[in-house]
Amino acid sequence: MGSVTVMPRRKPGRNRPQRPKPSLHAPGADAFRCAHCRLDVPLAAPGTAHRNHCPHCLTSLHLDRDVPGDRRAACGGRMRPISLTTRPDGEWLIIHECAACGTLSANRIAGDDNPLPLIRLALRPLTTPHLLASDPRLSPGSAFPGIPS
Amino acid sequence: MSTTFPRVTETFDCVRCGLTVTTFGPDGERRHHCPACLHSRHVLDQAEGGPSECRAAMTPISIAAPRDGGWRVIHRCTRCGQLASAPVHADDNRLILVRMAVRPLAQPPFPLETLGNL
Repeated sequence: MGSVTVMPRRKPGRNRPQRPKPSLHAPGADAFRCAHCRLDVPLAAPGTAHRNHCPHCLTSLHLDRDVPGDRRAACGGRMRPISLTTRPDGEWLIIHECAACGTLSANRIAGDDNPLPLIRLALRPLTTPHLLASDPRLSPGSAFPGIPS
Repeated sequence: MSTTFPRVTETFDCVRCGLTVTTFGPDGERRHHCPACLHSRHVLDQAEGGPSECRAAMTPISIAAPRDGGWRVIHRCTRCGQLASAPVHADDNRLILVRMAVRPLAQPPFPLETLGNL
């Protein structure tokens, strides 16, 4: 793996330590391979104890059910990011949807996640305004509601 | 529920704002959430399938825009934390929808201006 450029993050200090995640990867392994882009991903992630998605393409695997690291999901399907949400303190969470069974899950972004797919995910509702474009009160074709294109 | 009335007269009360909402929207689709506050009730178990015994309020947390069209609202149960998604209806509150769509961009975790230098 080449050098990874980590962008500076605007994150307030965390007041509660994360619960430890038992490492259930292969014994002795310090990395896993992304199911989508085949990137070798180190298990240690800056800013989070729960690395669950590839920092390059944000793809995850449907392994955990309720608690990070419990490995109680029998599905094992690929989970693609579908949207972003924020916590009240401004932290971003990625919503993943399992391509096999449709289950949704949320996970905090890591410090080395690629900013470009993150921004693309954040902008996706604004660039595909299917609902807003069908509103007769708004000008058709306008990417932003209320602002004529 | 009596079956002598047509289905269009069925209503339910919103779990959060108490608004009396028709069960079927203007496009004839069954509603999953209140059009005013977009809150829902946890009545379907997403993991196991079938009805859920939770019945707590579900708050809207984000907007998903699939490639095949139509916005979807992502709900999270306030009691058990389960996530669910439902399609957006034509009379849903636009203010809340757009506010959820732009909320991540209001507090980006990294400075957006550095993206212009890439």
